[in-house]
Amino acid sequence: MSAALMDQRLPAVDADSFSRLIEPILDPAYRLAAVMLNDRGAAEDAVQEASVKAWRKIGQLRGDAASLRPWFLAIVANECRMSRRTRWWSVLKFGELSSGQEVRESQTDLHRALLRMSPEERLPLILHFYLDLPLEEVARTLRVSPSAARSRIYRAAKRLRGDLTVEDVIR
Amino acid sequence: MSDENFRRELNQVFDDVAGSPSSNLRDRVQSAVSAAPEARGPYWIAAVAAAVIAVLLVGVLVMGGPLKRPTSPARPAATQSTPSPFVSQGPAATPTPVYTCAAQDFNTIAPGEPTPPVAFVSALRTGTHGSYDRITIEFGNGVPHDVQISAPSAGTTFTLSPSGQQATLKGDHGILITIHGSDLHTSYTGSTDIITGDPTIAEVRRVQDFEGVVQLGLGVNGNGCYDAFWMTGPERLVIDVVQSA
Repeated sequence: MSAALMDQRLPAVDADSFSRLIEPILDPAYRLAAVMLNDRGAAEDAVQEASVKAWRKIGQLRGDAASLRPWFLAIVANECRMSRRTRWWSVLKFGELSSGQEVRESQTDLHRALLRMSPEERLPLILHFYLDLPLEEVARTLRVSPSAARSRIYRAAKRLRGDLTVEDVIR
Repeated sequence: MSDENFRRELNQVFDDVAGSPSSNLRDRVQSAVSAAPEARGPYWIAAVAAAVIAVLLVGVLVMGGPLKRPTSPARPAATQSTPSPFVSQGPAATPTPVYTCAAQDFNTIAPGEPTPPVAFVSALRTGTHGSYDRITIEFGNGVPHDVQISAPSAGTTFTLSPSGQQATLKGDHGILITIHGSDLHTSYTGSTDIITGDPTIAEVRRVQDFEGVVQLGLGVNGNGCYDAFWMTGPERLVIDVVQSA
């Protein structure tokens, strides 16, 4: 990204405009949070909280409108990390076991393997496979270089299926 | 397992875990953003005070035991969501109209404002609501020119366009939704083949997303009797498919 582009800022927006701006990203944000947290209710709360934080920080957003999605998703991911840290007391709450995410006989090995991974390990897989973001955008969301993002995606995918090559994972 | 199958199965697992967001998530976010002040000045004092209060409060709650509350199951989607202080009282709260089965093709011209040249689908959601299952097709920038929904027919095989390949969906009856002046790839980033696990709408699959026409195939269990209507705030087409007795 050029320095000139980095210096760009989105024009000032009011709350309604901001809500409209992030509206198309709420669905991927929710999906990211739901898989990271494995809790749909908590995911919606995280997206709502992240939206408020993003609104407060909108002045810090650099780059063009295309920067909005990775910037916002990074805030959502961070909110999920915070959410997990702050709800230490509810780690074993029954809702996580008895809801739609319950461990069912029908769950595949892949499903079980995915849920055994830490949310941090799941994150690059969600961004790359589920949200289908370009590598550059995955990197910006993870706040790492594209080559580091590529390594994280590959490492996480290889934990799910050992015989994958980099070319299989990153096309 | 081939690489393509790995991708497909992994995305299916993601879909199983995530489901779809409640229909009021956008309203919640909009209300929360409107209610939140913009960042201004050094507000760290307020943050510290809030943190101290929060720690004291959590301490009291932990000691008092209210945090050992029974937990609720995953939040249900759409209109069954629990009341929230952030739920707006706008058009989204409009009650579902009296149920009327569409026995024939359903054609609708979207109501309201002039339509954009291409209305971007921004979300697809499904959910089960007791006597019916619902699919919601949400548009991010306005409503499309017109929508046609076929009468339900036996069989769930659809011809994908433009590939011409056949796809057979779950369920025993098929309904084809054709949206003119729309696309499913600009704003929408979710799955294009949703296996819902719901009793009536079993599967939703993209049949076409090409030249400004979006077609979605529904594989449904039962006779596929449905009702369709528009809702606003945000703009969305809602199709309820009734469960067969």
